[in-house]
Amino acid sequence: MGNASRSRGVAVGVAVVVAVFGLASQPSGSAGASGDEAKVTLTVGLTQDVDSPNVTVGYTVAAYELWNLQYATLTDKAAADYAIEPGLAESWVASDDGLTFTYTLREGLTWSDGEPLTADDVAWTVNTSRDQAWFNHSTVTANLTATAVDDRTVEIVTAVPDPKLPTMDVYILPRHIWEEHADSDITAYEATEGVGSGPFVLDEWTPGQGWTMVANENYWQGKAAIDQIVFQVFTDGAAMVTALENGELDVAHDMPAEQFVSLQGTEGIVTVAGAQGGFTELAMNGMAGGIGDGHPALQDLSVRHAIAMSIDRQQLFDRVALGIGLPLHVLGVSPDQAWLPEIPEADRLDYDPAAANQLLDDNGYLDTDGDGVREMPGGGDPLLFRYAERSEGTQGAPIRELITGWLAEVGIGTEVTVYDDAQLGQIVYDGTYDLFVWGWTPFVDPDVMLSYFTCAQVTYDAAVPGYNDANWCSSEYDALYEEQNQELDRSRRIELVQEMGRIFYRESTYVVLYHDADTQAYRTDRFEGWLQQPTGTGPVVFSNSSPTYFNLRPISSGSDSEGDGEGEGDGASDGDSVSPKSDDGGSSAGLIIGIAAGAVVLALLGWFLLSRRGASRDDRE
Amino acid sequence: MRARYVIRKLIGAVSTLAFVTVFNFFLFRVVNRNPVESMFRGRNLTREQLADLTRKFNLDGSKWDQFVAYLRQLLRGDLGLSFKGNRPVTEVIGEALWPTVLLVGSSTLLAMIGITIGYRAGWKRGTRQDTVATSLSMLTYSMPEFWIGMVMLGLFAAKLGWFPVGGLEDSGSTATGFAQLLDQFHHMVLPAVVLAVAYVGEYMIVARSAMIETLREDYLQLARAKGMREDEVRRRHAVPNARLPVVSLSAINFGFVFSGAIAVESIFSWPGLGQATFLAVRGPDLPVLQGLFLLMSATVIFANLVADLLYGRLDPRVMGR
Repeated sequence: MGNASRSRGVAVGVAVVVAVFGLASQPSGSAGASGDEAKVTLTVGLTQDVDSPNVTVGYTVAAYELWNLQYATLTDKAAADYAIEPGLAESWVASDDGLTFTYTLREGLTWSDGEPLTADDVAWTVNTSRDQAWFNHSTVTANLTATAVDDRTVEIVTAVPDPKLPTMDVYILPRHIWEEHADSDITAYEATEGVGSGPFVLDEWTPGQGWTMVANENYWQGKAAIDQIVFQVFTDGAAMVTALENGELDVAHDMPAEQFVSLQGTEGIVTVAGAQGGFTELAMNGMAGGIGDGHPALQDLSVRHAIAMSIDRQQLFDRVALGIGLPLHVLGVSPDQAWLPEIPEADRLDYDPAAANQLLDDNGYLDTDGDGVREMPGGGDPLLFRYAERSEGTQGAPIRELITGWLAEVGIGTEVTVYDDAQLGQIVYDGTYDLFVWGWTPFVDPDVMLSYFTCAQVTYDAAVPGYNDANWCSSEYDALYEEQNQELDRSRRIELVQEMGRIFYRESTYVVLYHDADTQAYRTDRFEGWLQQPTGTGPVVFSNSSPTYFNLRPISSGSDSEGDGEGEGDGASDGDSVSPKSDDGGSSAGLIIGIAAGAVVLALLGWFLLSRRGASRDDRE
Repeated sequence: MRARYVIRKLIGAVSTLAFVTVFNFFLFRVVNRNPVESMFRGRNLTREQLADLTRKFNLDGSKWDQFVAYLRQLLRGDLGLSFKGNRPVTEVIGEALWPTVLLVGSSTLLAMIGITIGYRAGWKRGTRQDTVATSLSMLTYSMPEFWIGMVMLGLFAAKLGWFPVGGLEDSGSTATGFAQLLDQFHHMVLPAVVLAVAYVGEYMIVARSAMIETLREDYLQLARAKGMREDEVRRRHAVPNARLPVVSLSAINFGFVFSGAIAVESIFSWPGLGQATFLAVRGPDLPVLQGLFLLMSATVIFANLVADLLYGRLDPRVMGR
């Protein structure tokens, strides 16, 4: 048995090695083009996969990108500033009471499968999503009733005044595909059929690896200039950046911050720090829910102010966020900065440890036992706070290190525990924490983010959790919330929202450390027409309504202009072009080395095999 | 005697599996009560919507009710729904199975070259050949997989561009049949070599020490006295006796094939079980993690059983014990 099986094993080994090394001779990156020579393909790298192409199920950022491309909406948002623009609807009129909106659809709209797209599809989507509470739709449609007046006219009535209208930020689904699934359990539908009305529709989704979208010939603005988009998922961010540098990718999203910084200034690559209003905050337990055991000192505004003033937020932004994002300290309620307030000089809680110490002294928080940690007024419990550090992401530990150090300087002690998101969520609902650092990303309309800090969203019973993790609430804030929620005049509404932002800043249960940004980079050698949404500060892909893709044009291969191709986060600069990197050299070298390496391994194995053969011949003698 | 040995081993394996099943369930529920809220943080869902999701993922009711429901599901071969995308866990795991078997399986086979090298090095103990082989093995054995992976990636994919950076096949590739297989092999070269380099030292070292243990045995002297050639003495008498530890190592390693290679699959974005584990931890997608743990434990238990039975066959003395 020994000899036979051994040579068989070696033969198998040889076969594997031949197969593997033989393949090294294939030029890298060429196979994808085989058979698709004529197709103009944009390749996008990202670190997160679509969780489900079904719009009633998925919730990852990747899934939103898919839907943004696949489903057109009644109204669009301008790339520059989110201003409302005609979409599937070419026009609309509002009733005098502001409760009824009548939209007129464009003529001759069709789904990607050729079926007509009518007012009936719109009405069905709005009404069914409201009735069945589809979670990506219901924020907008909860109070709406839609009626198809005729094929091109749809009337939408809102039960309460809604400042979000006439913007109809709702993915319209093809009724002829979805109705049968909605009749049973719509969340069970796989939704890989790829029928839509947007510029691109899903062609194939391979979970864990990514998905491919092809241009929709029937898109109302016409067929896109690129034929297909390949979204490739990387589990390792550094490997993704390598693929971008190699030219395997045209654009990468969500890169590790260090690599992002090192890419800045690379020729032929433009880095974009795309802010979308997301922020990182230090939250304190305000105990508004009345459950849990938050430290009583944190309910004293002077202690919260002292904490805010002990933190050097600019240093956090520079050293931890590596300057990626925006050094803003107010609640981010929208990627549109029009909603953000200015904080008056007198109210600002800038870094000033001396003032923080003074404030604590003045309010009776003294270190009576000389251990370096202050006690409650009258010498009670020490100001020793439980600090919950979030394990996800790379910023939790450095932020904790800096903040706990600064707190110690003003006589505040900390006990650190590290939690994953699920655990952290749990202690927040239970109210069993003093401080934590986490973050949020808002929608374009500020209403949702503002609603999270109303009294209605406070967790009063851990089994029925709310979103208000500042665990703080105020009747003044709530009244303004109700007012802005129904205010149809935009400039007046902005004033109200800014006032809420100022209250929230003053109250300081949240100390907003900085506004984060998506780290993206794109190559300038193959495509032009990259759009930041909003202009100047936003991302180029994975933005709110993803307008870049339809705007991209391949740079003609004849182009030999040596463009500047450089950018330091200055974003979309049309016409940047560099001559395409030649990858032939690498490939043919790969071929030679591949064959050589294969030959060496084969020779070794052959020697091995022969030496045994020789031996067995000897044995037989 | 023989039957009793087999039955004893079978009972051992089945009871270990039962323990793992129970432990597995409670392990993930100790972490937190209800992950739904944190999963959907910032999605602006109503409390009713959150309650619906909790029900859907079988997270309502007492731990005991959940456990009974879990066992019932398990008996039907159903591992529940992934927290992501409403997909059955069996489907998520099923998709990741083939890439992992392909990658870890072939690199384990490649690494088994180490066994032959080890036997030869052990046989010629103290020679230069042995010193070189042993030092090289110690070197590769002590290098962490992820480090070798990063270095290989940086050199062969980033710097030289011979191999793709990651994935199972070229993105957007529509190739089928042999062309697709070729493409997959091209993508597999780097991760497979990294794993093989990481494993080869282990095999070599175990094989070498097993061989050294047999060197002084009387039966080798006897074989030589009979006039056998050195090579023949080695293969006919030394190797078979040095085979036991190598067999158990191989069996266990084949069990680990189904655990995937978390570090290497993550670095090379290889869509296997290791990557699935990495992504599930990042979620955390508890049903998928639970399913993966069950699969991994089951295969390791099975591989151990096979090793035990093989042991019995290779060395009949074992069965008497």
